[in-house]
Amino acid sequence: MINKGFFTLSLVVLISFSPILAAEEKPINEVSEDDYIGEVPRVLTVSRLSQSIADAPSAVTVIDRETIRASGIVDLPEIFRLVPGFYVGTNAGFVHNTNHAVSYHGMTTAYAGSMQVLVNGRSVYSPLYGGVQWSELPIAIADIDRIEITRGPNAASYGANSFFGVINIITQSPSDQLGASVSATYGDGRHEAFARYGAKQNDLSYRVTAGYRDDDGLDNRYDFKRTRLLNVQTDYKLDSKNTLEFELGIVNGERDDDETINTTRYFEPRSRDINNHYELIRWRHNGSENSDFSIQAYHSMDKSDDRIDTVNLTPPFTHLVSPTLQINNDIEMERYDLEAQHNFSFSQTLRGIWGGSLRRDMMYAPHYLGNDKNDQFDLQRMFGHIEWRPLNKVVLNAGAMLEHNDFTGSNISPRASVNFKINPNQNIRFGVSTASRTPNYLEEKFNTVIVIPRVAPRLPYLVAYVIDNGNLDSEKIVSKEIGYLGEFGKIKLDTRFFRDDIYDYIQSSVNHGFTAPGYATVRNPSDHKNAGDVSIQGFEAQAKWLVTANTNLLLNYAYVDIDANEAETARNINMSMPSSTFSGLLTHRFNPQWDASYAYYQTSEVTALGDGGYVGLARRSDIRVARKFKAEHISGEVSAVVENLFNEHYQEFADYNTLKRRARLNVRLDF
Amino acid sequence: MLNRKIWMNGVLAGVMLVLGLLVPFVASAYTGVTIVMSVQTPANLEFVDQFNAELAKNKQINLRVNVITLPDTEKLVVAENSELVIALGVKALEAASKLKRSTPVLGVFTPLPAFNSVMAKSRRDLGNFSAIVLDQPFSRQISLIKHVLPEAQKIGILLGPTSSQYIEYVREEGEKRGLNILEEKVNQEADLIPQLKKLLDNVDAILAIPDPTIYSRETAQPILLTSYRYQKPIFGYSQSYVRAGALAAVFSTSKQLAKQAAEIALKSRPAPSELPPPQLPKYFSIMLNYQVARSLNIPLMDEDEILKKMLESDVPEAM
Repeated sequence: MINKGFFTLSLVVLISFSPILAAEEKPINEVSEDDYIGEVPRVLTVSRLSQSIADAPSAVTVIDRETIRASGIVDLPEIFRLVPGFYVGTNAGFVHNTNHAVSYHGMTTAYAGSMQVLVNGRSVYSPLYGGVQWSELPIAIADIDRIEITRGPNAASYGANSFFGVINIITQSPSDQLGASVSATYGDGRHEAFARYGAKQNDLSYRVTAGYRDDDGLDNRYDFKRTRLLNVQTDYKLDSKNTLEFELGIVNGERDDDETINTTRYFEPRSRDINNHYELIRWRHNGSENSDFSIQAYHSMDKSDDRIDTVNLTPPFTHLVSPTLQINNDIEMERYDLEAQHNFSFSQTLRGIWGGSLRRDMMYAPHYLGNDKNDQFDLQRMFGHIEWRPLNKVVLNAGAMLEHNDFTGSNISPRASVNFKINPNQNIRFGVSTASRTPNYLEEKFNTVIVIPRVAPRLPYLVAYVIDNGNLDSEKIVSKEIGYLGEFGKIKLDTRFFRDDIYDYIQSSVNHGFTAPGYATVRNPSDHKNAGDVSIQGFEAQAKWLVTANTNLLLNYAYVDIDANEAETARNINMSMPSSTFSGLLTHRFNPQWDASYAYYQTSEVTALGDGGYVGLARRSDIRVARKFKAEHISGEVSAVVENLFNEHYQEFADYNTLKRRARLNVRLDF
Repeated sequence: MLNRKIWMNGVLAGVMLVLGLLVPFVASAYTGVTIVMSVQTPANLEFVDQFNAELAKNKQINLRVNVITLPDTEKLVVAENSELVIALGVKALEAASKLKRSTPVLGVFTPLPAFNSVMAKSRRDLGNFSAIVLDQPFSRQISLIKHVLPEAQKIGILLGPTSSQYIEYVREEGEKRGLNILEEKVNQEADLIPQLKKLLDNVDAILAIPDPTIYSRETAQPILLTSYRYQKPIFGYSQSYVRAGALAAVFSTSKQLAKQAAEIALKSRPAPSELPPPQLPKYFSIMLNYQVARSLNIPLMDEDEILKKMLESDVPEAM
């Protein structure tokens, strides 16, 4: 009882004293000469100042917080439907049942891995298959400040894997939103809860976000996923020129895995345990007005556990559960990365960036790689990029990246572009950019053989998925474009014609060299090879229209035509992207409290590769209505989202993915 | 004149009275000047050098200049019988205000609100207590905005406890040049970014008016980053704010303030002290951040070109 009493007392004391303490800490001060002549730390330093879109060497789409909020999405990859030339497919694939397929300009597969994806400068694509497990990224959508999408290869600035494009996700800086916030979402098959706290004490600011989400997925698929996440971001200002940043993320959860619907279905539905984490430290040094230096190091570990002891074979083979069958399908991907970069500006007309990085990826995936070893993959790169304005109306950009890696040796990827400013509101850009894509583990070293014991007298059944011979060359891309940016009153237009030539395109083929041991009945495996060239051409447009002060309209359109020269697979590749995609987002604010948005997405027919299939024209409409409220110590928002409002029952990625109407309600409170 | 109005309507209600008492100046009235500073900052030292240079230029080598730093002489007795004390900075002005009431004191490097409060505390009269304040006339700041962003229509200002007294003057100057001034109040630091965002939604640029609740070393980062994300420029009030990431600022350098102070020293009469009333900086400079402009896709004229145009339309302060 005494303890309890003491506790209550101390609480009262704390509460009653804290406002006084706070008042004492911060006396009301006056303006002094220091406000006028004192030093202010440089904020918009060379590295923070991004190129204006009119000066940039490539087409860039920036999706800000407001757009993300208005779109009403709960799964991050869904936002890329609002980027011209992108194709997004829900819950794609037989293996990554819960993951979205995100592709740009085609080659759509469930494991599409031809894009660089960065979260605050940290590369998050998987070395195993090159793609991203979107729902397992340790970030809450509400913490994202903006997403910058470079449409087109940009190896010179972003390095490995920046093949078709670059997705750069940037979270809010810790001091951006102080205080506490909680948010809960309840809807059809979807539940979420997030809490965030941001604070600033002198030179230290930090944000902690914790969250939970689960999703039942589609009706007919084993695609439940559950994620618990914790993310901490800290900025510590050492002095006016030096800042240290720390990040930490932890994700754990489950995701269903099942080779559903495949005609040869081996594994029974089951759930994988996910345990990921990452740690990052960055030092930023602002040397002078014209020079900025930063060095960052991070480590990430993505781990998923999966033991398989059942196999389901198609007739004539029978279903089998064997105590002797034990497939270790654990996957552990670890990445160490160290990067330094220096931004500088030589003069009013010349500035640049250069740097280098070292990376080691470690891969443990016995089921896929055919051995129990922890495989190592090293990557070293150097990059440089300069922006030069020889004339007031002309901007030249040039850069290159030199890369060396364990799989393909050395590559160099140059780029160059020139922008002409016809007037402040109109701009034409001509650009050529190259990139190379190093094969991922499942292209270079895929080696899966399963021996399934069966009752005598028949021989054991041997399933060999893929036996890679290795020694692949990098895929190469040369992308040429003519872009036009125009501003007409309240309308901003961004258009471009492009042609991408891809050489040594990597694709799967039959492995004829495989000889099965005599004791087994065999299903023949496949292999990966550099199989010819592909060219992609088309047109993209994005328009932003500020219709009135309270009404915004965003429109995107892309026409993509793929032409592959390899006869055996050409038809498939040519169909791997909808020839036309269209999306729009209309938002309107009725008054300071109420706002609503309407999103429309349309994709023409497509036959996705890699676990995908033919789907016809798809149309989807989402609607979101929100009401903000504000009381003395609390403010917040209540919003409702209906996805696929008209319940079109459309298919995405493959005909096994039928999407229906889903609705959700979200409540957010800020303290 | 805007500045005249500040004196009339602001805290300094008695200025006009004093103005009426002014007698025409008599040249080279003083024989000795004491410059007081609290610390030897580069700006203060530069002021002293330039002040001496100005005197030399005007062939006033007989005018003795005595420089003292506060910690050395806590009570400033040395300056007690000076014919003119020039106080550099608010602290020096505070110390100087405690001198004998007949010793004329001219504050430099002092913002207007600080001058007002020091004067109120000291109960001195304007005739022997004056300043060249750091505040630039709003007409000048609006002129800079018009020259840098000719197409701007709406300018936002954040007002805190100190700066809210100026809203009418800013608005009036804006109206004269066809600019609509939108304001948001910030009473505590927690409101800062939300209010800034509200403004940024509706304006073409932000004009910063000094207020410790709003603009400080600590808030520079969130303010500049937030505005940058909205792709809207900030017009600051100091060189270092421009270096930090504001698009442009109008300000007066130490040298320019020294020149103005020398003019006062040469023109004013000794006791019974008759210093001119507090005045705004007469000479000014501008600074533009071309890197920020480029990143925001704002085409900028040459700095000198803009300054020249501003000087053409700037009405010099008649005191």
